[in-house]
Amino acid sequence: MPTNSGAHGENDATDNKTPGTNENETAAKVAGGAVNATGVSANVSDTNAKAAGSSADIGDSGVNTDAHDNSSVKASKNAAGSTDETLNAHVKGVSGGNASGVNGGKAGKGKKKGWIWAIVAAVVVVALIVAFVVIRGNQKVSDGMARMHKSDSVTVGLKLAPTNLDIRNQSGSSLDQVLVGNVYEGLVARDSNNKVVPGLAKSWEKNADGTSYTFHLNRGMNFSNGDKLDANDVAWSINELMTRHYHDSESLMNFKSVTATDADTVKLDLTAPYANLLWELACRPGLVFDKNANYDMKTQAVGSGPYTVAKFVPNDSITLKANPKYWGEHKAKTPTIVLRYFGDDNAAVNALKSGDVQVLAPVTENLAEPFVKDSEHYRVAAGDDTDKYVLAMNSKGVKTSDVRVRQAIRYAIGHKQLIASRGGADKPLGGPIPSLDPGYEDLTGLYPHNVDKAKALMKEADYTPDHPLELRLTYANTYGTELGDQLRSQLKPIGIDLKVNVVEFSTWLQDVLKNKDYDLSMVDHNESHDFSQWTQDSYYYNYSNQKVKEYYNYAMAASSDSQRDALLAKAARVVSEDAPADWLFNYRITTAMKAGVQGFPLNLNQTLLPLYNVRCMTTVK
Amino acid sequence: MRFVIRRFLLFVVALLAISVVIFAALRILPGDVASVMAGLNAPPERVAQLRSQMGLDRPLVVQYFSWLGGLLQGNFGTSLLTGRSISSTVAMRASVTFPLIVLGLIVALAIGLTLGVVSTLATRPAVRSAFHFIAIVGGAIPALWGGLLLILLFGRGTGLLDVLPSQGFPEAGWGNFGSALASLVLPALTVGIIDGASLMRYTRSALGDVMNSGYMDQAMACGYTRRQAALKVGLRLATPQLVSVVGLMSAGMITGVMVIENLFALPGIGAGLVTDLGNRDLIAVQSELFMLAAFFLFVGFLVDLLHRFLDPRLKHAVQGGVQ
Amino acid sequence: MTKSKSSSKFSIVLRLIWRRGEGKFALIVLASWVVVSLVSLVWTPQSLWATDGYHVWAKPSVAHWLGTDGTGADVFSWLMAGARTNLFIAILAVVFAGALGILLMSAMVSRNSALSNVSVVAVDALISIPTVLIALILAVPMGASVAVVIIACGIGYGLNLARIARPQALLAANSDYVGSALSYGASGFSVMLHHILPNAMPTIMVQLSLSAGTAVLAESGLTYLGFGVPSGVPSWGHSLATSVKFINVYPLTVLWPGLIVTIVVVALNVFGDVLRDAIDPVTNPELRRS
Repeated sequence: MPTNSGAHGENDATDNKTPGTNENETAAKVAGGAVNATGVSANVSDTNAKAAGSSADIGDSGVNTDAHDNSSVKASKNAAGSTDETLNAHVKGVSGGNASGVNGGKAGKGKKKGWIWAIVAAVVVVALIVAFVVIRGNQKVSDGMARMHKSDSVTVGLKLAPTNLDIRNQSGSSLDQVLVGNVYEGLVARDSNNKVVPGLAKSWEKNADGTSYTFHLNRGMNFSNGDKLDANDVAWSINELMTRHYHDSESLMNFKSVTATDADTVKLDLTAPYANLLWELACRPGLVFDKNANYDMKTQAVGSGPYTVAKFVPNDSITLKANPKYWGEHKAKTPTIVLRYFGDDNAAVNALKSGDVQVLAPVTENLAEPFVKDSEHYRVAAGDDTDKYVLAMNSKGVKTSDVRVRQAIRYAIGHKQLIASRGGADKPLGGPIPSLDPGYEDLTGLYPHNVDKAKALMKEADYTPDHPLELRLTYANTYGTELGDQLRSQLKPIGIDLKVNVVEFSTWLQDVLKNKDYDLSMVDHNESHDFSQWTQDSYYYNYSNQKVKEYYNYAMAASSDSQRDALLAKAARVVSEDAPADWLFNYRITTAMKAGVQGFPLNLNQTLLPLYNVRCMTTVK
Repeated sequence: MRFVIRRFLLFVVALLAISVVIFAALRILPGDVASVMAGLNAPPERVAQLRSQMGLDRPLVVQYFSWLGGLLQGNFGTSLLTGRSISSTVAMRASVTFPLIVLGLIVALAIGLTLGVVSTLATRPAVRSAFHFIAIVGGAIPALWGGLLLILLFGRGTGLLDVLPSQGFPEAGWGNFGSALASLVLPALTVGIIDGASLMRYTRSALGDVMNSGYMDQAMACGYTRRQAALKVGLRLATPQLVSVVGLMSAGMITGVMVIENLFALPGIGAGLVTDLGNRDLIAVQSELFMLAAFFLFVGFLVDLLHRFLDPRLKHAVQGGVQ
Repeated sequence: MTKSKSSSKFSIVLRLIWRRGEGKFALIVLASWVVVSLVSLVWTPQSLWATDGYHVWAKPSVAHWLGTDGTGADVFSWLMAGARTNLFIAILAVVFAGALGILLMSAMVSRNSALSNVSVVAVDALISIPTVLIALILAVPMGASVAVVIIACGIGYGLNLARIARPQALLAANSDYVGSALSYGASGFSVMLHHILPNAMPTIMVQLSLSAGTAVLAESGLTYLGFGVPSGVPSWGHSLATSVKFINVYPLTVLWPGLIVTIVVVALNVFGDVLRDAIDPVTNPELRRS
């Protein structure tokens, strides 16, 4: 290989002291260097060595989905082997480039090409600095992990990010998720089975006809700024909600008045009984704010919960710190919890793999495969939720007002196939009420998958695959294109030509929710206790059935929960029979976490995520 | 001087025109921030209430002039959604995007200039075509795909070499200098390698043009070797053209990195713009778009001036009044 | 007469391109692109709409040569069908860019000094606004659509073209033969058509073939960002964007669309380079003889 002295001078600088080494040798050296580097960091502690092994493992399963062999030694060997190969290839490429440059140089006879090499040297120096910084960064992280039993900080990866913290004005479950129960507390609370439990109020009673509730508050409560929390704050918060029409104020139906009868007692009067009152008070309408505090609710939060918001970067992250003045039983077990938001599912998975986050909720099921396989280091589990993927069929639409068309669509959709394509954790749902809500009944038998029946109904309505009905499905781009593509092909054989229109969420809000300009629409109605949608003529479903309204009103006036549930179930059955929509499935949240994470709630964790119990244990052997 | 003034006036007129275009384009958009804020279950009255609270029910002309008035005073407004000043949000995002662009440019320059010069000076046909091949293939890789390949090779957690973070920016920002820099390495390489390939082509063609000109013959007649002539005289003469290219390239990178920022989950200007647009935070979007457009126009303006200033031939022409 | 002359010129250029190795490569790739696009209109190995929820992300098999995607549809068929959308986009973007570029170029070398001055400065100012930003502004009212990609690329590349072709056009406009044509009373339009345009044509052709490549690249980026090709329309950008999400688990599916885009863009760029030599009478003696 022809070389010249200029090139050697440069090689010397990069620690390669033998002039005229062949390419393979160089490659081996570089590879050796890399191995050494990891060796150094592995020596820091035993755990660290283990971590290195595990990461090789992960890397392998991530790249080669065929790997059935779980032996970590073998896996890491494999990884090392492929690493060497790539390095070889890489270095070959580079030295090949050098060689040609050198050839050119020789042909040109000149030796003064100092500045070119200056640039090359600069690049090498930059690369070395970067490599150094990276390796040091890695060491720091592992150093910290090795010393502790319980981590001081847990980072949780979430998906939908709040744009501001104004929980009184801004809609969206992402705000409930982070703030309710963690930063702000309600008069009452709900548990992971969606049942009402004591909150700021330790007990309550209602009068015989259900129009007056008396709440007895805990004593010695205070906000994170030190202000006392008593009945006056409670009454003030609910009054503000009602007079200023804050978000969800309309869900506090039949409201008459709320007063603080003394420092520990609140009395809430209704014009008529309302069976959902307590549950609603466990959500936003029941949140208690500091009457005397003055702060920008969009960027700050002053509440009475176990955590305070230490830092908030919109669309990116929220840092929660344990509230040192917290009054109650839910004392934070981990001093700092960082919530990071990943719009990109892939980024989220990488973050869990690389240890940037310890929990990921939700994780796309198809992407969780590597974590499921590596059960030694990760735990993957699904929890129940109230998310209903509703395929609404405009009941007053020109083409969808024909009930035969709507029924045909329900028969034609293969729900099990949809669920399978998403990974299989979701549950079929035959009607508007999911299993965690009052009034649930399995209605999947009403419209079982039956393509022949669907075809017959479409034929009755004069549509065949040769003379199809053209329908437009509008939904927001946050749900991905896969569902629309599958629905299109499932509806094709029964004579429906489905045009899928994936739009931005705000466009969906305008076209579908506000203007009701749609044939079919799909959205994830994740709210709990939201059956009243089917009783409002003005809602975008364009659905109206007097019987449903009557059942619902009786249910809300019911004196016992079991009576309420029975009436709601009746109403839900009628809605489902009328086929104003198809319920594609009840989405269940899949959560993936590092093996040492404990106390992370699985059910409902996209709207209700109590973090006080979350902790991450790292074992030191 | 006349040229400078004329060019500057045009810059101002173009800015005004663009402010109108941006404002108008955003108003055609379906949906508004009030309905995004109110959500799925809110009654229409609540949306109307939010609209009037945010001043969205004022006539469009009034809204435009109140925005423009703010711009003239250097006030870009407050985001309706986040309640933060738009200039501070943009500044925060720029602290990711600009370092990324600078790093990308360094990579691009290192690759593009070096390979460009070396390949121009190379005389063997095989070597020349090898460089030609590198330039052409490098310039043809979709940025998205190039980034993915780098993640597959080097990404922490996913890569064959488990070395570099491929997702996100550290919590502490540049307070944590090491990891901030590390998180920009792969994105910068992606941008840099692709732009480096096109820069290599430009370098070669600019230098090649000069090499075939009389200037080189003269330099060689003065006793320079071909190589010396190329490096001392050729590069000097090719500089103005290269400055133009690099200037426009750095401006173009801001949006070129949009894909890259999304892919690597970096909270930069491009990724932020997409989010704000989705939320219909129009005041934020229009100010951000305006700032970007102003920046591009300004770079264009600057590049033109520099070009004139750096090229001795053009300068003489101007002084001689030929222009 | 002129028609046969131009067609013979065309065949000479084509022959010259074919004679060079890289030209052969470019022509073969581009021809297969067109053929695959046309074939995909009538036949793909599997129907694009044949989804199968039970077999998503399947490995390559006899039925699915490159496996299946997240809906269980055939990856190979979608890539085949993607060819036609990208071809459509490339062609229309180039036509649009060509029309706009020639129009602006004409304005820039116009004898009306107000028009030429304004257009020169306007082009210089606007050229610095990148295509993605134009697409973003367009996508705001129009939503994701093929038209956004075409118009954004057309505007961006049209401006570029005008600026690059201007020196050639200016040279021709100041030449003696244009002067004499004008003195014989030829209209500005006819001078543009018969004298200036033919002179600028080689530069324009080369620039347009490069633009076609950039349009294919732009499509993938814009579609990934959600401003480009809408859902349900097959395109390489679409294939890339949908598989990007699953790169962790199924890295292979992401390789194919990127590889195809790279090869096609390389072919377009090579074609531009070879074309430059082929249509230049200085380097192509055959052209001189005809």
